[in-house]
Amino acid sequence: MEDERSFSDICGGRLALQRRYYSPSCREFCLSCPRLSLRSLTAVTCTVWLAAYGLFTLCENSMILSAAIFITLLGLLGYLHFVKIDQETLLIIDSLGIQMTSSYASGKESTTFIEMGKVKDVVINEAIYMKVIYYLCILLKDPMEPHGISQVVPVFQSAKPRLDCLIEVYRSCQEILAHQKATSASP
Amino acid sequence: MVENSPSPLPEREVYGFPPRRPVLFLSSQFGFILYLVWAFIPESWPNSLGLTYWPQKYWAVALSLYFLITIVIGYLLLFGINIMSSSPLNSIHTITDNYAKNQQQKKYQEEAIPALRDIPISAVNQMFFLATK
Repeated sequence: MEDERSFSDICGGRLALQRRYYSPSCREFCLSCPRLSLRSLTAVTCTVWLAAYGLFTLCENSMILSAAIFITLLGLLGYLHFVKIDQETLLIIDSLGIQMTSSYASGKESTTFIEMGKVKDVVINEAIYMKVIYYLCILLKDPMEPHGISQVVPVFQSAKPRLDCLIEVYRSCQEILAHQKATSASP
Repeated sequence: MVENSPSPLPEREVYGFPPRRPVLFLSSQFGFILYLVWAFIPESWPNSLGLTYWPQKYWAVALSLYFLITIVIGYLLLFGINIMSSSPLNSIHTITDNYAKNQQQKKYQEEAIPALRDIPISAVNQMFFLATK
């Protein structure tokens, strides 16, 4: 079962949340970030090239112009490969673990998997990030203390959805975690 | 005066009189008057009196300008320091700290106000987001 809704992120951009319910114990949430807009790309390119042309009129060295073209191309490729995230996915499998996938604009994908034995809870936390934002994070258990938290792993870091989207994801995750706790508590 | 009490009265508030710390008040007033005298009186008058060792007049403008710029930068710097000292999103300090970890649990008594303590974030989230609206 699959369904898609649109939300907005903390800056006002549009996000699309796709929920797939594979089974009662396995769910996937896929957040698509807005694509690289043509407007910002042309704005950055124009400023860099105008600045290079200004330097060229000062120095009369034509290497500056070719260097500017080179820098723009390399910068764009580097940005698409290392910075610009297209889609973030959270896959929860009851009794197995939680997997987070980020896929970049150049096609690169990076995946992180946390096994269910380490997961204490999935919560919505508030923190200061230029302003106060809500973000979803996974709390990991502390092996020493039964009720302690050893680490906080934030998810959807580049998409940064707002609270309404987070509440949807939170409720679905809590259903699975409650189911998992019930089955793990009973012998 | 209608009343002789030292409490703030409307007519007294405007002048801040009597001053709470007379030493600081008097010394700052004296320093200000001295600064104005030094900045405006031409060199010849104090020289004829015998007071010859003053700093250059350039500093009369420069110091006040430095002071003004320092205040403006102070605002920006304070904002920057605040932002820099807030914990990153993946830090454990956004969830708990040493005081919350070591707090003692008091026994619940009927009809008494419960003791003040830190509620774990899982319980807070369940109350906010899972309770049916």
